[in-house]
Amino acid sequence: MTATASTPAKGRKRSLGTGWSALGFISPAVLVVAALLYAPFLYTVFYSFTDYDGLTSPKWVALDNFKKFLDDPALTTSIRNTLFWVVGTTIVPVAIGLLIALLSFGIKGGTLLRLPFMLPYALSGAGLGVIWGFILQSDGAANDLLRFLHLPGADISFLQQAPYNTIAMIVAMTWQQSGVNALLFLVGLQSIPTPPLEAARIDGASGWRMFRHITWPLLAPLTTVVVGLSLVASLKTFDIVWVTTQGGPGRSSETLAVTMYRDAFVSSDYGYGSAVALVLTLVTGAVTIAYLRFQIRGQEKLR
Amino acid sequence: MKRFRLAIAALAVVSLGLTACGGGGDDSSSSATEVKLYNDKGAWKTYFEGVGKLSKEQIGLGVTPVGYTDEPTYEAFIKASFRTNNKPDLFTWSTGGRLKEIVDSGQVADTSSLWSDAIASGDVSKELEPYYTIDGKQYCVPANVSYWVMFYNKKVFSDAGVQPPTSWADLMATADKLKAKGVTPFYQTSVLFSFVWFQQLLIGSDPQLYNDLATGKAKFTDPKVVAVMQQWKDLEDKGYFSDPGSKDQPEVMLKSGKVAMGLFGTWFNTNMTTQGMKPDSDYGTFVVPNVTPSLPNTTVAFESGPLCSLTKAPNPDASNKFMKWWMGADAQDQWANSRGDVSANPKVQIKDPSLNQLNKDAGEGKYTLANRYFEAVPPAVLTASLDGFGAFMVDPGSYQKQLENIEKASADYWKSN
Repeated sequence: MTATASTPAKGRKRSLGTGWSALGFISPAVLVVAALLYAPFLYTVFYSFTDYDGLTSPKWVALDNFKKFLDDPALTTSIRNTLFWVVGTTIVPVAIGLLIALLSFGIKGGTLLRLPFMLPYALSGAGLGVIWGFILQSDGAANDLLRFLHLPGADISFLQQAPYNTIAMIVAMTWQQSGVNALLFLVGLQSIPTPPLEAARIDGASGWRMFRHITWPLLAPLTTVVVGLSLVASLKTFDIVWVTTQGGPGRSSETLAVTMYRDAFVSSDYGYGSAVALVLTLVTGAVTIAYLRFQIRGQEKLR
Repeated sequence: MKRFRLAIAALAVVSLGLTACGGGGDDSSSSATEVKLYNDKGAWKTYFEGVGKLSKEQIGLGVTPVGYTDEPTYEAFIKASFRTNNKPDLFTWSTGGRLKEIVDSGQVADTSSLWSDAIASGDVSKELEPYYTIDGKQYCVPANVSYWVMFYNKKVFSDAGVQPPTSWADLMATADKLKAKGVTPFYQTSVLFSFVWFQQLLIGSDPQLYNDLATGKAKFTDPKVVAVMQQWKDLEDKGYFSDPGSKDQPEVMLKSGKVAMGLFGTWFNTNMTTQGMKPDSDYGTFVVPNVTPSLPNTTVAFESGPLCSLTKAPNPDASNKFMKWWMGADAQDQWANSRGDVSANPKVQIKDPSLNQLNKDAGEGKYTLANRYFEAVPPAVLTASLDGFGAFMVDPGSYQKQLENIEKASADYWKSN
């Protein structure tokens, strides 16, 4: 890249003008990126140190917003729920997705078997919230089904009682996410080269041993991606919660992203909302980096 | 060649700047023919249009209603407009702390002269003025006024052999009979209107305490407030309330007879009539009797929502002209009677007989009016309350904890204000 770029066209000298015009050409893009991405981010960082109601000018309050965190009961619930989401949606849909991919890989009609799992992915997050909101509402379809099957839980108000509301929404998310995870794993399975598999088969490996010692390690790069994506998605869970329960009742199903939205846009406490946003960003960044480091180191060891 | 490239690059930068600055530059002259009326009452589009048709005929100003249905989105939009050039001509809001908040920002147009004229001509009652007065000046004009009464399904009542109650004990006995018939006596919801039963129980037992709570003079953890919550819990425990998280609309539940009664502002008439229910034959209303019978007057919750304009409205003259007309009898007759609600203008004849009676009784001082909780408490306390009461409905045993959370928000607010 650098080699081609630094070779000027025949006979033309690099001059100051070329540098300036280059700057001119890239500046629109740089300006757009700066205006649309960097500026809002820096603004949010600034607001997080202020008391700002969106009407009067922001007042500098230093670390007050972050101190407020420590005795905000809503934030404790919100962190607990976010952890539920992280654990719930990085383990369950990933595991189910892997299972679907493994069981349907390389068999006749596999595509047909996988299709129903893929369909929910066509829904948007908000659509998912609306549909599951109706299924899960008190005395809704979920309760009716459980009652019909004589299973426990028929009298639980799934969206009203904590922590059932968070768990119920994780189930809804699993319903949607498993299919696309399966699709990603399938791509991984297809990209595994045949020689090691054949070698293992000749050595007599099959079933669990085959998976544990051959397939799983070879799938590792893709697992890293799938889990990493789920991790980030779970930390920023917002749409399904907002549409289904709006974080309620009584803030019991809020996630960090919902808390951020509520504090900023519902309570018009933009300073505090920005502080929550900043913390959420730092946590997401830290978790992602830690996770990737851990994974990459693990894979390097494997080599 | 070099110069050419430089020129193009410069052009690219400049054009980018131009597109960023473009738009929003259409300055409407004083000859405006339409006002854009932003509102959080999306379901009232036809009523706004009805008024707009009349205003077009009478003052040559039509109305384009821009309706929202999601309260937070609406609030955020209006507040954001204060800082941009995209400002509404007129917008609906709420009185109380939320009005004070935007007035304090210096953006809301002063309507003092409109008020003094309207009071002088008898187009608005003097009693309404305090709700629109901040630091001695008036802001906005009344968009609507409503009393909070109990709506009930007449057929369900007659099937159960009950009449509208005349005392609190009577109301409880009615609830008991309905419950025995398999009908849920009262509607409740944990979304937005979670304060309704707290408000009713408190104003019916101690209206002074209600006012003191709103102004930070009393604590939410006061034993008398706790007693109100315990009473509410008792009603919840008896199974008198509908499921707070149901996604069914209250008017649908009332129509089907699944629920017998619902506490709402008189504006709820539009919800009932759009379900095809007829006032006085299919459904009726009654004023909820006081919990404490010894109080001199029955306390009724009252609300008034404003129609406001901004100092920097796109066309202040047009906004002002419209607001002046809006307070008049012609506009108010159309606005109130098309919706089946009372009017801020005492000259307007209310066509619905029971509503007319209520309006007259209130006008003659038969009731003690309590400002609706939504407007009475500061925004921060309201947010905490709506959350707290919503959580209480799901877990009534948690009332003490909820009151503590609300008190925390209240103490925080009154400490700095």
